Amino acid sequence: MSKRAPYPWEAWETSETAAAEFPKGHVTTPPSDETLQLSRRGLLGAMAATMALAGAEGCRRPLERVVPYTKMPEDVVPGVPSHYASVFQRRGDALGILVESHEGRPTKIEGNDMHPSSIGGADLIAQAMVLDLYDPERSTTPRKAAAPASWGDFENELSAKLSAYDKDQSQGSRLRVLMQPTLSPTALRMRAALAQRFPKARVHTWSAVSDSNVREGARLAFGQPVNTLYGYERARVILSLDSDFLQTESGNVRANKTFAAGRRLRSPRDPMSRLYVVEPARTTTGNSADHRLRLPASQVERYACALALELAKKGIGLGDLQAPVAKQASAEGIPGKWLTAVASDLVANRGRALIVVGSRQPPTLHALAHLLNDKLGAVGTAMAYTPVADGDELEAASDLKALTDAIAANMVDALVILGGNPAYDAPADLAFADHLAKVPLSVHASLHVDETSTRCTWHVPRAHELEAWGDARSIDGTVSIQQPLIAPLYGGRSDIELFALMAGAPDKSGHDAVKNTAQTMLLEARGWTACGAFDQTGKAECRDSAGNPVFAQFADVERQWNRALATGISQRPQGPMPGPTLRSSEISAAIDKRRAPAPVGPTSLEVTFAPCPKMVDGRHANNTWLQEMPDPITKLVWDNAAILSQATAKQLGVQNKDVVSIALGPRSIRAGVWVVPGQADHSIALTLGWGRTKAGRIGDRRGFDVYPLRTSDALGFAVGAQLTKTADSPYFFAQTQENDSTEGRPIAHEASLAVYRQKPNFAELDSPPPRALPLWNQQDYSKGHQWGMTVDLNSCTGCSACVIACMAENNVPVVGKLEVWRGREMHWLRVDRYYVDRPEAGATADEPVTIHEPLMCVHCEEAPCENVCPVNATTHGPEGLNEMAYNRCIGTRYCANNCPYKVRRFNYLNWHNDSVWKETGGLPETLSMQQNPNVTVRFRGVMEKCTYCVQRIQSAKIRAKREQRDVRDGEIRTACQQTCPADAIVFGDINDPSSTVTRLTRGDRRFALLGEVGTRPRTTHLAKVRNLNPEMA
Amino acid sequence: MAYWEPIRELDEGYLVQPGSTMRDITDEISRVSENRAPLGWWACFLVAVTFAGIFCLSVGYLFYRGVGVWGNTSPVYWAWDITNFVWWVGIGHAGTLISAILFIFRQRWRTAINRFAEAMTLFAVICALIFPGIHVGRVWVIYWMFPLPNQMTIWPNFKSPLIWDLFAVGTYFTVSLLFWYTGLIPDLATLRDRSLTKWRQRVYGFLALGWRGSNRHWQNYERAYLILAAISTPLVLSVHSVVSMDFATSVIPGWHTTIFPPYFVAGAIFSGFAMVETVLLIARSVFKLHRVVLMRHLELMNKFLLFTSMLVGYAYAMEFFIAWYSGNEYEMAHFLKNRPTGPFWWAWAWMVGCNVVVPQLYWFKRLRTSIPVMFVVSILINIGMWFERFVIIVSSLNRDFLPSSWGYYRPTIVDVGTFTGTLGIFFTLFLLFMRWLPMVAIAEVKGTMPQADPHRHVEGERERAPVAAKVGLAAESGLVPEGAE
Repeated sequence: MSKRAPYPWEAWETSETAAAEFPKGHVTTPPSDETLQLSRRGLLGAMAATMALAGAEGCRRPLERVVPYTKMPEDVVPGVPSHYASVFQRRGDALGILVESHEGRPTKIEGNDMHPSSIGGADLIAQAMVLDLYDPERSTTPRKAAAPASWGDFENELSAKLSAYDKDQSQGSRLRVLMQPTLSPTALRMRAALAQRFPKARVHTWSAVSDSNVREGARLAFGQPVNTLYGYERARVILSLDSDFLQTESGNVRANKTFAAGRRLRSPRDPMSRLYVVEPARTTTGNSADHRLRLPASQVERYACALALELAKKGIGLGDLQAPVAKQASAEGIPGKWLTAVASDLVANRGRALIVVGSRQPPTLHALAHLLNDKLGAVGTAMAYTPVADGDELEAASDLKALTDAIAANMVDALVILGGNPAYDAPADLAFADHLAKVPLSVHASLHVDETSTRCTWHVPRAHELEAWGDARSIDGTVSIQQPLIAPLYGGRSDIELFALMAGAPDKSGHDAVKNTAQTMLLEARGWTACGAFDQTGKAECRDSAGNPVFAQFADVERQWNRALATGISQRPQGPMPGPTLRSSEISAAIDKRRAPAPVGPTSLEVTFAPCPKMVDGRHANNTWLQEMPDPITKLVWDNAAILSQATAKQLGVQNKDVVSIALGPRSIRAGVWVVPGQADHSIALTLGWGRTKAGRIGDRRGFDVYPLRTSDALGFAVGAQLTKTADSPYFFAQTQENDSTEGRPIAHEASLAVYRQKPNFAELDSPPPRALPLWNQQDYSKGHQWGMTVDLNSCTGCSACVIACMAENNVPVVGKLEVWRGREMHWLRVDRYYVDRPEAGATADEPVTIHEPLMCVHCEEAPCENVCPVNATTHGPEGLNEMAYNRCIGTRYCANNCPYKVRRFNYLNWHNDSVWKETGGLPETLSMQQNPNVTVRFRGVMEKCTYCVQRIQSAKIRAKREQRDVRDGEIRTACQQTCPADAIVFGDINDPSSTVTRLTRGDRRFALLGEVGTRPRTTHLAKVRNLNPEMA
Repeated sequence: MAYWEPIRELDEGYLVQPGSTMRDITDEISRVSENRAPLGWWACFLVAVTFAGIFCLSVGYLFYRGVGVWGNTSPVYWAWDITNFVWWVGIGHAGTLISAILFIFRQRWRTAINRFAEAMTLFAVICALIFPGIHVGRVWVIYWMFPLPNQMTIWPNFKSPLIWDLFAVGTYFTVSLLFWYTGLIPDLATLRDRSLTKWRQRVYGFLALGWRGSNRHWQNYERAYLILAAISTPLVLSVHSVVSMDFATSVIPGWHTTIFPPYFVAGAIFSGFAMVETVLLIARSVFKLHRVVLMRHLELMNKFLLFTSMLVGYAYAMEFFIAWYSGNEYEMAHFLKNRPTGPFWWAWAWMVGCNVVVPQLYWFKRLRTSIPVMFVVSILINIGMWFERFVIIVSSLNRDFLPSSWGYYRPTIVDVGTFTGTLGIFFTLFLLFMRWLPMVAIAEVKGTMPQADPHRHVEGERERAPVAAKVGLAAESGLVPEGAE
């Protein structure tokens, strides 16, 4: 720097004199203490934080130490969310998750990239679980005969009872526990501890939606229950026999991930698997099928047998099954190509062909599938067997029947029900609710004071999965720790803690119990057993496999525990089981004993029971997000329906919205009818989990309760139902999409694999070119980041996890059934579902093919919304985002009118307060705890829409800037993209030539939806491809 | 031949009942505000005020809860609100047309109805402006539409047709108000001069702006009136053209149409004339204005309605033709399928029936000179024109590009309350106008009388004696031959 005299107008500080007055180092001394670095603003921030911490006793942070995932700050930094790994127990599989926590409030759930059941994806239930946590109508206190009581009272009464058992030498024979099937090693350990204290006490399991038939099938085939792990990514041909493995079956997230991987098309040369689906009712799996056969559920087994015979003709020897299978087989009414062509396709792809059976199909069919999969060489290549978490679990219905029988025989003195809601969902013939009333001491631990709780002598609040310690073993054997993100909001306790209370186990807290299990398992993995406690030097004596003493180091074990908490994985899978041997003679005998299904017809209809993709068995009934989520098939919200095929509805003289009575033997229900093309004729599809009466303000009296038709011998489906139209006025249904057809418009492109290989850019060729020239000067999009997105219709299954993810991330309000009926739903992201009559794909008017098309704001470069806004509230950002300034919006709604995609949503009312929670005087405080602090909560009168999760873009840019680097490709994931279990959504910088999104937008299947309007959308879609079998034509 | 004399060859008649004196005219018009209001006026006023009250309740509720109390939905984000706006703006067209354009073209028959029409314009534009004001989501920041300097340096978006709209309708209102008021000044002075009470003198005196009727006053007045007429004339074309741009510049099939500006102007004139006729017929019978509002005026208006009806019908047909001719899939689906057969086919049927079919009755002289027929037809045209805007707005929005987003629209009771409420406001203002202001332009009507011709005496004709008593008020005097007295 040259030394010169300062000009008079220059600030004196820059002059030499100033430098002398403040010698170097005086101000800029390298700080020895961090506080010296603080600016005034930062100092105030720190003071505020200190003050906040001073009052931190009020914070609901868990008392035990939890370790956040990877990017753990030293302490909680206000405004910076932490992520914790945890796990959700789902039926049959455990889903590894990451929970985003803002200052101690869990707000958002994502899949855990490291967890093999999630691989970073999640489904709509997992996304919605966070709202269940904050449900304002959860039970807040223990209740004795409906009157509030304390935990102390409860503990006293229970332990008095239990110690009486200790004294009377009955060994607890009159104590029963009813729990849901569990995957938790700690819960199983506690169950064992209970059995130790009361050897004659019995633990029953019941869940209305379970894999019981799958287990029994495996037990029949192998003599032991095993888990089946399907490798959809390695299969070339998949035949699903009534299995909705992409949505409602166990392990659906993993199935989605792997299935999508096996069909991902980056170029016309890529291989793609082919999916055949045989099912009675439309499911997302059936919609994703290349070929779909609609067949009543009761006839799937005879189809499978006929197919097995066809396979036998092609060299797949059935051995001693040949005769019984031939006895059951019947090809009547089944198109011949569904036997010959499917069989040849399976045989031609030996080793890479897979048969998957749905959990409501009988065990014999599962066993037959195990045998066929084995003969087709799938085991070891496209599928593997793993040990089950709980080998002692019994067949669900008979286990529950054993309990009701015991109650009827007056053999039950105390019944503890952990979770579940058997008074609502138990088989109708068991009359569980009536039996329950006879038990002198009945306890129900549940989130809500529900149908079962009100019939028990005691109700105690159960902790939510995000509030309690636990663990779970996923289908492949991975064990994960469930970390609480928040201290129990209402003082609930987990199953583990209640078990420990009953068993009198030393680990009173869930944390200790889970940690103990994890450490034992850790040491057992090394072959060490019989460990004692750690002494003062941090050592514990164990025995190794040879029985020699070895010493476990405290620090070592702690490190492993911390790592398990941080990664969400406490034990990696041990690998597939050494192939269990097939017992073909037992299978043969069982199949031989099967009776031929009763024929279905207009007077003897079939009813099928399926778990609701949203409510499952009814447990999520009080969740507003799920209530308002459009059903992936019918697009109905806030209701279920009795689904009929077009032909059957015509035959029975009913139509949409008619209220009908469905009678099955002595039992009957009423339900509203909805006609779905592609439903099997003479089969009524009913979904479980609706018509609750004690779910809460949100869940009560929504839809139709179908449990009264479901009996213990027919949990999956039953034949012989009659349907009669009642005189009731039409039922009031609300749908988010009222038009099912594309009207022949080029808006959802699809082609067969053969056409795609011939004409890779078929979608572009079928799209009309832009007809309108830009109105205004073009912006320069060549500089800086330019965000863009692709949505691959080929991967999308329509599962709608993205819809809930978007609601959770962006504080999207719920408007209620009436407002949805008006058309005012607020979902920023919707999944359009079109029925397309595509004859080349074998589609007819009765069975059109389905295409799902997720649609959110496409961020047009020539956005029609922008130039009509009178106040400049929606404008174009320099990075290509179509931005909405809520503060500036006055709500003329002109932008939404002019949006050709109709993706803008308007706050007609103050939805958060003036819709479903109106009666409570506005959004309950707990629900506002869920809201994402980084996203504005919109007031009434304001337009809103997809922002490409701009808050995520900004935080990634800030992070990149702080680390002095560019934003990496894949670093920013929008909420929908992150949760998508099929990886159908890709977001990134289209100015970066190496980014995935750039490659995809330049790819061959790309098309710009409504490009002919001249909007130049930034979100483009990739056309769907169906891998049609030419022989099926 | 004097200008006031009808040209027989053209089948013209007198513009004022022959034999009337200037005093007759002054008396007849001024006495409305001087005498007690007739019972008919009170009856009408009570009904109108009731509906104005309903309007206040509806809008109060709307402000309290939000736009959701209306039936607007997705995809029909605009419905009755903007339908009403366009309808009212359209009605507001006849005033300027009758006053300004017909004035410039020296169509002297306008004098009987121009004050009415101008007042109607003002009140209709007031009703129209209510809707864009209250239909926004956040009414409390509606002023952001105006280019007000602010520290954020955010201006309105001048690309937005809504801003064009604001200026177009605002200008129209201002000019119409000035035009109306300028025309009122000599008549207000007449009322002032006839006033018997202090308050009337003060109020009318204030409003008359010191008019003394001097030659210089008249000279300035005529000049100003002519200039304002010249300013207003292009506005007749511009206002509704700009309103139509709200739709024409969008991308929605059914809106994105180049025919809209002339089509909207024709429709506006059509509906404006119909509304003038409705109101005029009521006023004529309630206040007995048969001396100045002759059957001849009404028949001329009906001929004009027939003409504009055919213009509108042509526009309807042309929309269909162009949709088919364009070959555009979405246009064809909209015009050829959705409009006549879609969920709002009935609105389309009302529109075509009332606007195109019904006015064809006016080919028959008997029908176009029958008061009951023209009263019913004028109301039907008003209904039809409301449905035209409803069809354009709602049936275009309810089914646009993506069938997945299609949805039906259902109005709520608040929609009905708001709309009928503005009718109440309109008629309340109108009835007050009729009661307190000269509802026919006294000075101008006098100008069309033989007595106003300075050369009349030179031609040697004797001043006719007042003949009103002989002829009788009920005679439809346009048909009375000249020598009848």
